[in-house]
Amino acid sequence: MTRLRNLAVMALVIAAPGRATVASAQPRSGDPGRFEVSIGSLWIGHEPLGSNDANETTSSGGTRALFTTSTDLAGAGGVEGRVSVRVWRAVEAEVEASYGKPQLKISIAGDVEGAAPLTVTETLRQITVGAGVVWNVPHRFWSGRLVPFATAGGGYLRQLHENDVLIDTGRYFQIGGGVKVPLLSSSRRFVKGVGARVDARAVVRSKGVAFDDARHASPAIGAAVFVGF
Amino acid sequence: MRRLLSLVVVAAIVLGGARPALAYLKFGVSVGGRQVTLKWAQTPVRYFVTNQGGGGVSATDLQDAVARAFATWQAVPTAAITYQFGGATSATPGRDDGLSTLGFQSRPELDRVLAATSFLIDASTGALIESDIFFNTAFPWSVAAAGDPNRYDLESVALHEIGHFSGLAHSALGETELREGGGRRVVSAEAVMFPIAFAMGSIAARTLKADDIAGISDVYPDGDFRQLGSISGQVTKDGQPLFGAHVVAFDAARGSMVGGFTLNAQGQFSIAGLSPGPHTVRVEPLDDADLDSFFDVTRTVDVDFRIAFFDRVVVVPRGGDSGQVTVAVVHK
Repeated sequence: MTRLRNLAVMALVIAAPGRATVASAQPRSGDPGRFEVSIGSLWIGHEPLGSNDANETTSSGGTRALFTTSTDLAGAGGVEGRVSVRVWRAVEAEVEASYGKPQLKISIAGDVEGAAPLTVTETLRQITVGAGVVWNVPHRFWSGRLVPFATAGGGYLRQLHENDVLIDTGRYFQIGGGVKVPLLSSSRRFVKGVGARVDARAVVRSKGVAFDDARHASPAIGAAVFVGF
Repeated sequence: MRRLLSLVVVAAIVLGGARPALAYLKFGVSVGGRQVTLKWAQTPVRYFVTNQGGGGVSATDLQDAVARAFATWQAVPTAAITYQFGGATSATPGRDDGLSTLGFQSRPELDRVLAATSFLIDASTGALIESDIFFNTAFPWSVAAAGDPNRYDLESVALHEIGHFSGLAHSALGETELREGGGRRVVSAEAVMFPIAFAMGSIAARTLKADDIAGISDVYPDGDFRQLGSISGQVTKDGQPLFGAHVVAFDAARGSMVGGFTLNAQGQFSIAGLSPGPHTVRVEPLDDADLDSFFDVTRTVDVDFRIAFFDRVVVVPRGGDSGQVTVAVVHK
């Protein structure tokens, strides 16, 4: 009995590439589904927020730094989900949301009275909610199993300091691209397909915890599992 | 009938007296056994300027310089205090005559005092009734727009004294170094209310700093002030509360400093008037000070500890307090 069950699992694993072969041809002729839901992980790289010195004024009107500081929003992982709908052939419109817990780091150095350098931190909770478009590269430009895509979007950024004592809001924009890897597909069932999606993006955040109104770009990498309906 | 209490020359700006790096400090008076912040009960506060010049400055230039200094304090958007020029007067500063008078006086015996402020207080309420300022003609003065390298800038010193006039005590957000022949020289300061004046020719103290603005706003809070926040906490050494530590909150986003210090047996501090956002907190000893010129020292100030930063980012909420910040310091 146990042996039979193990065989069944093996059959599934071996069968998957076979089904995927079918799926790889699916974008050309099959129905990928009108809707797609994905969930996965997201890593956003660090965002330099700025440097400020603790300046005092000298007699001549110049400045003298008691110490210096440099502040960063550290890179951090999180989760991301999206729901997309195919609006025209290879074009999807999507809504997305993510959640992460990056650290705000202030590095202190150069104290004129000899205090040791150190880095102080707090952990933020960062939430994004936005929308975007995805362009799946048509197979007339591309052959093979992987489906390349380009994506762009933006939305609302919400950053909550520890214990929710302060909430900073801002905006984000992102542009990037990646590939979808269809693993299973069936044009006859409610679930049209299952696959994986990886992408790399440039995420541009403005305001929020940033010290200025400038846009700050960070690299980001996402990996998700999607289901098509 | 009001009981009047006269405090004579409680606040002066001096040349080279040893002062520590404190932060803004409010005057307090004891009324019925409780501590009350010294402040004007009603605004605008009327002031008069003497009709005599001195120290190389005419009466008209004195009035103009004083008016600019009052306007600078009045322009603080988070403070509600306003002032009104009552006119020129032949009255003398320092007399309990019901007029708040600013003017020159010859006080050669005060050879390190550029100017000083005295108060008349309603002892039953702690409210200010009268405040006078004299500028010492033992020193040369200037109202030149760019300063005069051989004279002290009248507007800068007036700005400092009007801070006292309004209820602020000395701040000490600044650094000094010993001078040959005694006394101290200001290396840098980040508060107009720092007790030692810049050198002759400097006009750097014509502009209020974050510490001054927080101080005047704390005494006379306006609507916008309530959108600001505070940091409160405690400083300890060997697990015991530490009295007399200097605590500075640094706004990492704006680069501004506002301070306070621990003045009770629990080693507690509270710094108000802070912009919402992440701050660092630095604690240092008051190890070069005549402390009794800042506050009534009834117990020994502990200066045997190393400068330390709080090991976390402190986030100031909008209109609230950060919550308890406990900074543990160690022996030198």
